[in-house]
Amino acid sequence: MIDSYRFLDFASRQVMKAWAARQEPGIIPFTPLAKPLRECTIALVSTAGIARNDDRPFDQERERRDPWWGDPSFRVIPLGTTEQEVRIYHLHIDPRFGQADLDVVLPMRRLAELAHDEVVGRAAPQHYSLMGYILDPTVVVEKTAPAIADSMCADHVDAAALVPA
Amino acid sequence: MGLVQRVLEARGIPTVALSMIPELTRAVGVPRLAGISYPMGRPLGQPHDADGQRAVLRQVLELLSSAPGPDTYVELPFVWPESPAQARNASKDLPPPPIVELLKRKPWLLAYLYSGRIPHDAPAA
Repeated sequence: MIDSYRFLDFASRQVMKAWAARQEPGIIPFTPLAKPLRECTIALVSTAGIARNDDRPFDQERERRDPWWGDPSFRVIPLGTTEQEVRIYHLHIDPRFGQADLDVVLPMRRLAELAHDEVVGRAAPQHYSLMGYILDPTVVVEKTAPAIADSMCADHVDAAALVPA
Repeated sequence: MGLVQRVLEARGIPTVALSMIPELTRAVGVPRLAGISYPMGRPLGQPHDADGQRAVLRQVLELLSSAPGPDTYVELPFVWPESPAQARNASKDLPPPPIVELLKRKPWLLAYLYSGRIPHDAPAA
């Protein structure tokens, strides 16, 4: 059994445990895969707060002013984007690992390799990033996530993998 | 992240999540979840370890087809090569997150963080 809190410091561990105890999952949605995995177009979603250098940065300044707030927007990361072309804005993780090798947080090259090996059909043309650690998820749930879903549907994405940071 | 996953799934897109804190992600209630005992910031593994990253991603993606129903949870067998102290040490030169800075100055606000009652009038800085 994995110890979910093994790598966290004492304070983070206590907070995360308190959050886990407070959740109420209710009815969990489930959509079966419509075709074999080896035929599926796959999109990735990272919560590392990745934005292309030519795109709008995530708002770190407002979070520094109001630590209860997190930027609830998302960015599109086109397939083939490299670590040189992005910045990682998440203020709660060490961004240097993903900045040295983007596949650590958004494994687009690994996904393309798995498509080449016919484990999956293909990597979607666009992938997505948002900030992790958003204490009030209202905007993310009501606006951001539905907008990502619309974009995935437009790209004929068959399934998505979410990668935390 | 689990909440985003639920929205996508409810919109008809099958989803799977990787999590380093699977107890919390699972508590949110997600369709398919792969737990991994890796440190924050390195969900797929070490930089430039393409084989290791690919092995993790492959097992995550295979859960898309193997999961029989909602709340499917598997624990990935990968072992991080460092102790938690070693993994944290690599990042100890970074400034703490803004919320940690705030709570150092005003520790009584920790009760808000525990309870999830976000102070909307922001008794922040």
